[in-house]
Amino acid sequence: MDPALCLELLSFLKPETRADVRAQALEYILGVSGSPEGRQSLCAEPRLLCALLDLSTEQSPHVAQDAHHVLVNLTSDCAAHRALLAHVPTLLPSMLSRLRDPGCPFADSICTALCNLSREEETCQSFLRSLTQEGMCQLLDMLCAPKYNPRASLDYLGPLLCNLTQLPEGRHFILDRNRCVVQRLLPYLQSGSTVRRGGIVGTLRNCCFSHRDHAWLLGDDVDLLPFLLLPLAGGEEFTEEEMETLPPDLQYLAEDKQREADPDIRKMLIETVLLLCATADGRRLVKQRGTYLVMRELHSWEREPCVKRACEKLIQMLIGEEPEAGLENLLEVTVPPDLEETLSRLDKEEEGPQGTLVQ
Amino acid sequence: MMTPQVSSRVTPTHVSVEPFHVTALGAWRAWNPLIMDPTDQEDDHVMDQFMEKFKTQKYMGAFNEDTWEEEFDKIPMFMKKAPSEIDPQKAPDLACLQSILFDGSPEEQAKSYKDEGNEYFKEKAYKQAITSYTEGIKKNCNDQELNAILYTNRAAAQFYLGNYRSALNDATAARKLKPDHLKALIRGALCYVEIKNYTEAVEWCDEGLKVYPNEKKLLETRAKADKLLRAAERDVRKMRHAEKKKQAQKESLLSALKDRGIRIHQQPPGEEDEQEEGILLPFDTLSSENATGAHVFQDENGRLNWPVLFLYPEHGQTDFISAFHEDSRFIDHLNTMFAESPPWDEDQKYYADSLEVYFEDEESQTFYQVNPEATLLEAVQHRRFRVKAGTPSFLIFAKKSTFCIDYFSSKKVYRLPSA
Repeated sequence: MDPALCLELLSFLKPETRADVRAQALEYILGVSGSPEGRQSLCAEPRLLCALLDLSTEQSPHVAQDAHHVLVNLTSDCAAHRALLAHVPTLLPSMLSRLRDPGCPFADSICTALCNLSREEETCQSFLRSLTQEGMCQLLDMLCAPKYNPRASLDYLGPLLCNLTQLPEGRHFILDRNRCVVQRLLPYLQSGSTVRRGGIVGTLRNCCFSHRDHAWLLGDDVDLLPFLLLPLAGGEEFTEEEMETLPPDLQYLAEDKQREADPDIRKMLIETVLLLCATADGRRLVKQRGTYLVMRELHSWEREPCVKRACEKLIQMLIGEEPEAGLENLLEVTVPPDLEETLSRLDKEEEGPQGTLVQ
Repeated sequence: MMTPQVSSRVTPTHVSVEPFHVTALGAWRAWNPLIMDPTDQEDDHVMDQFMEKFKTQKYMGAFNEDTWEEEFDKIPMFMKKAPSEIDPQKAPDLACLQSILFDGSPEEQAKSYKDEGNEYFKEKAYKQAITSYTEGIKKNCNDQELNAILYTNRAAAQFYLGNYRSALNDATAARKLKPDHLKALIRGALCYVEIKNYTEAVEWCDEGLKVYPNEKKLLETRAKADKLLRAAERDVRKMRHAEKKKQAQKESLLSALKDRGIRIHQQPPGEEDEQEEGILLPFDTLSSENATGAHVFQDENGRLNWPVLFLYPEHGQTDFISAFHEDSRFIDHLNTMFAESPPWDEDQKYYADSLEVYFEDEESQTFYQVNPEATLLEAVQHRRFRVKAGTPSFLIFAKKSTFCIDYFSSKKVYRLPSA
């Protein structure tokens, strides 16, 4: 888009302009924000971005809604993040405070835009800075409140939390042992939208990269494993002895027990359990609690090749031999670069034909 | 509150009714000893006169020489322990003291009751503590924080007495007065754990953690409640599972009986407690447990195993076989059972080959002979056979014995065609 056109549009967006003209101009911008080139030119004009943020608090619901949609579109482009945050310093605080407003009708759009913004490490960093621990607490409270905002589902809080935990600061908050944080997320693995569940599973998986917390996560204080396994378990019948090895949460499930419907979430759940096998103690605990039984049944039920493969990897870990001395902690093993290259190539090759199959 | 006063009018043997220095009821911590000022000549003189009197007359209200120790203990100042309840009739001096202690504005009074309750609580005298807190609550004072504390403390006392419902009501009342009262939140959560409402317990903890995110006791209680909740849910599932399994067994057994055409003796209506579910009737009659508790079951191949009763009318003896496989023959069992003579068979008449087997059709009062070579299934499939009390029963006689002949002489019997 021509910079001159940008300036012209900007003049239409001024508060003194007639309402219908403003609405028209915004609608046009919304259209432009749909393409990468359009977003690029919009981001080149800081004043336009500021005007958009102002419009999102507009009285007219139609205008405000469109402004929010433009923001969602802009934030979907990682290339736009730096410009947005640099040119509109009030963007994050303003959006966060509106997200917290239980009566905000656009909370879902805001939540989506914030989720987009937190995707890249750099913006995630500034995100965490402006959020502070208190802000994190509020996000969690909103996520756990049965109906925080009657006009919004706030499902994107899940993925938002997941993005925030890509950084150690975010993980520290979730893994705070003096607070009840991770425990409150666990019930949501059973309910809610796919978006929300996926976000929470992603959060847990991120947290499980920190192997120092594994013992605590697997222990009585959190008891993470049953929560990860439950969505992977079906209603298969086990013998009495087998049943006893399972955690109580997985015992005597109804015959019509449904597994997690989303294959990506199933895969993430398996990967999270696999991460928990990184230490010798973790492996012992995961093996002890009937994980193999759940995986065995899942494997024969699973139709999705990539999930099946993740399942096989975990089973391999469960029935395989213990690694030799010095290599017990799998998250701390240093893999020579050439070997790592080969491995990731093999992984890609494995995925390769699958990609076409899925299509 | 009124400042307690110290009386100076003390005689060597009697203590004035007026209050002494009191810190808390029942805990006489100190009293000011009488200090005589030697320079006060007039007082000395009065005192001398006073003492002089007792040389001629007995001092009024003096202790009785025999029971002085007992009486001594009843005087507030010398009491070793305050009575748990103060009766103004019997102990007017104590009642008087108490009324002074609980003087003042409703807030002051409520606070005194709270302190009193706390003293009792420390001594684990929970019932008395409850009485004190209740009195404090009754003052209905305007200090809501104090009221919340009174309710919370009473909740704690009730809790330790095991009155979890009352404790919960008090914790709830306290929370209404002061929503962020930590101790009320903890107490409420603990009460819900005790009454096994774990969902509520977790909820109370979460509410508390919103205000006190690092509170150990809340974190602990939450973890405990959550664990118990999940275990309780498992137990419910387990029970349902067991019920379902039982139901399936029942249905399979019923259909097995139906397939085999086995008839069940129907209890004439009204004779025993009425059975409403017609379909279940045959089964319930079947499972109505006999003395040993054994009942018919299906083995892994779907074959029936019956508890079976053998009766020996001649000797008034019985034998009970707890699991008679429907495909095994009578003779198989008889062979094992009579491999050795039973102690009651003095004439040695009972051995496998000498026995005749019958069953009785009660309805027509007819006896039918059963071939010992027959299987149990063949016997119970007989059109006149009825399974009674879940246990097929058979009569066993020694072949051609006089008893057998006599027994059947006036009865209808269908015998097997003789070989």
